[in-house]
Amino acid sequence: MLYFILLFGSSINAESEYSASNSKISLISESKTIQPNDSFYLGIKFELEKGWHTYWENPGDAGEGASIEWSLPKGVSSSNTLWPGPERIPVDPLMTFGYNDEVVLLTKITTQEDIDFPLEIKAKVAWFTCKDICIPQEGNVSILINKGEFSKSIEYEEIKKYADRLPIEFYENYRVEKLDQKYFLQSTVENDHFENVYFFPRYYGLTDYVAAQIYEKNENSFSLEINASKTDLELEKFEGIIEATNSKGVFYFDVNYQLALEKSKEQSLLLLLLFAFLGGLILNIMPCVFPILSIKVLRFIQYSEESSIKTYRFGLSYALGVILSFLLIAFILIGLKSSGEVIGWGFQLQYPLVISVLFYLFIALGFLFMSNLVLGSQLGNLNSLVKVENESLESFLTGILAVIVASPCTAPFMGSAIGFALLQPSFNSVLIFLSLGIGFALPYLILSIKPSLLSFLPKPGPWMETFKQFMAFPMWASALWLLWVLSGQVNTDTLILVLIGGLTVSLSLWLLEKNTSEINWIKWFIRSIAIILIGLSLYILPTSYSLEENISEDSQTYSEQRLNDLRNSNELVFLNFTADWCITCKVNERVALKTRKVKQILEDKNINYLEADWTRKDEKIATKLEEFGRTGVPLYLLYPSVGKPIILPEILTEDILLTYLSEVE
Amino acid sequence: MIKIYAFVFSLFIVSNSLGAFVQNDEAAPDFRLLNSFGEEVSLQNYKGKKVVLEWTNHGCPFVAKHYSTGNMQSTQSFAKENGAIWLSIISSAPGTQGFVTSSEANELTTSRKAIPSHVLFDPDGNVGRIYDAKTTPHMYIIDEQGLLKYQGAIDDAGGRGFISKNLLEAKNYVKRSLEEMEKGNEITNPITKPYGCSVKYSS
Repeated sequence: MLYFILLFGSSINAESEYSASNSKISLISESKTIQPNDSFYLGIKFELEKGWHTYWENPGDAGEGASIEWSLPKGVSSSNTLWPGPERIPVDPLMTFGYNDEVVLLTKITTQEDIDFPLEIKAKVAWFTCKDICIPQEGNVSILINKGEFSKSIEYEEIKKYADRLPIEFYENYRVEKLDQKYFLQSTVENDHFENVYFFPRYYGLTDYVAAQIYEKNENSFSLEINASKTDLELEKFEGIIEATNSKGVFYFDVNYQLALEKSKEQSLLLLLLFAFLGGLILNIMPCVFPILSIKVLRFIQYSEESSIKTYRFGLSYALGVILSFLLIAFILIGLKSSGEVIGWGFQLQYPLVISVLFYLFIALGFLFMSNLVLGSQLGNLNSLVKVENESLESFLTGILAVIVASPCTAPFMGSAIGFALLQPSFNSVLIFLSLGIGFALPYLILSIKPSLLSFLPKPGPWMETFKQFMAFPMWASALWLLWVLSGQVNTDTLILVLIGGLTVSLSLWLLEKNTSEINWIKWFIRSIAIILIGLSLYILPTSYSLEENISEDSQTYSEQRLNDLRNSNELVFLNFTADWCITCKVNERVALKTRKVKQILEDKNINYLEADWTRKDEKIATKLEEFGRTGVPLYLLYPSVGKPIILPEILTEDILLTYLSEVE
Repeated sequence: MIKIYAFVFSLFIVSNSLGAFVQNDEAAPDFRLLNSFGEEVSLQNYKGKKVVLEWTNHGCPFVAKHYSTGNMQSTQSFAKENGAIWLSIISSAPGTQGFVTSSEANELTTSRKAIPSHVLFDPDGNVGRIYDAKTTPHMYIIDEQGLLKYQGAIDDAGGRGFISKNLLEAKNYVKRSLEEMEKGNEITNPITKPYGCSVKYSS
């Protein structure tokens, strides 16, 4: 009966309460009297039936937060809606953020000097009340505020309870790193430590709502690991609130961190197009392409003696042939990708595997150039296949042929280009292949426009064979370079295995080359041996990083003895207490400890790097940690040549670390 | 030569740093579901045509508003004019809101003057989970090659105050994306935040 009257009243003049099915809202104030030039909290209180909820500012996977529209008298203004820290409300398999049973959404009201009392403040509220289903609701509420001193109303405590849950600026130093589709929020803790921390993102497309967040509590810091959203919008800001719990209660803090963005996509695309173009240019002097071009150059000269227009046409048709072939490759790839074929195998491969395969490839290419396998003449033969009456058509086909026969020695470049292109939107892949094609065709096109440049070209001759053999050395140099890259990723044993693989690849190629036996079974026997050797070389390929696993046999492994020896000879020592399961340690290593600059300064200043690996909770390391009042990792100690070690912060940045390292003496 | 090495190597780095969660521009997972006439419908059958997927639940107030204002129907007819197939999918588990029998589904289609190509039933929620459909409505657009091109909201009316917004004035992402695909342009917002009720999956 009372409600009926209230509802009836509300149609003429909104009351302080409004009831809907399963929920009720009311407009409450911390004081019913207020002065001009003052400010105070108003709250919209939502009382929901047990088990029902309404949403936070970011509702999570579904739902929608309430909206409040104020009508205020002249001289009165309102803040945005202030949202108390939310709860997690899982709706399997989804996750939503909101408030169960009850919440007060706050608004700060500010009055100016010149206002007429009593103030009538009205609010139109639209909200969702949800359980397993959702009900949209809308209602009007109002309140009268009189002039007078601030005095606590009966709802004051209620408002205070929720005002205490409003997020405040986070007072600790924190940073956010994004590594491999995961965000790592790391913070120092100078005040009371937290038992648990949870991050609520403010916007869609930042973090995964459902996946569990991993909280790691360290001595004076914490790390929170949060999966990036599956629909990653690559937001520039890591924005939201954290809920931090300790024995004193639950606290909410605003976090807003500008993420270190990788170069914008357009820029890197431009750079890639440039590299693709350069790659195309360089393809011309590749030994498997150069011979065919030389043969064509001869014909070129022939034509240039006849008429310049012919040469021009010749060059254009050649360029067209080249570019169309590259486009064709691009479209075939896009087609394959579109048809859902599993050709993404290359991307999941770890660096060591890819690098070792490339190493084999370069060894093999070098061998091919050095050997008597007469590549040039074979190409010449192929070329005769496209001798047709129409000269423009012939040069067009030559362009296509050049792309095909170039493939043996362009494979490493093309392979990478293909790998990258596949990850790009189709349009970009086309552009990349177009750039490769233009780069490849350009020198020839220039020659056709300006045939006088032809006189600068060397005439084909025996020098080509010499040149071809010489080209083996850049190939092997590349192999060396790849080996150097590999050495940074795997241990010596693995490196030796890869070298053995290179040896067996060369041996099998040599067998294939020398295999000129007339007798069938001998021919096949030798062939099978060669194939087995190649199989063997593939079998021993490394599939994962092995550097870290074997660190225990390294000179960098910590032992009390080793540390004392170094200290006794007044050496500088950096001691890193770490463990594989320690998130903070791993992030520090990625962003600070193992960066090039840090490695450089360690080397330059002759600082001995020691690593104490606590993955298996070694007793001796535990004792050492205890010495510094620690029960866990990370712990970073920097020993000057004399005196006590400096304890570094638990959250390292490259800058902090470089400063410490450069100042230590 | 050095540049080429840098090129080769940078490609590896780039290819490794890109995430594995690129769903747009990848092949949309195939599925087979029964329609409201008891016939089996497979996504594969529509290669060569654009397909719009609409996750729906008639009891959800968000969906109800899109139908009562005619916004969903107008989007459906726009899609149809552009030669697209429209599949309305119900992933509500039996006993939950939005779960309907075939005849109820057909009755809803008639009474709401809706024109989907098919209404499909996904009572165990398998297809919904594969597509990671979170809300009703949650929209997806698949192109002629079977690649996922758009996922998210139907329009920009989501967010607080949805109930009082005029949907016919909202920016309709589905219409715009279909138009852009037709013209061969890049889709302006290929991912938007889906809004609405949670999909009532079986737990």
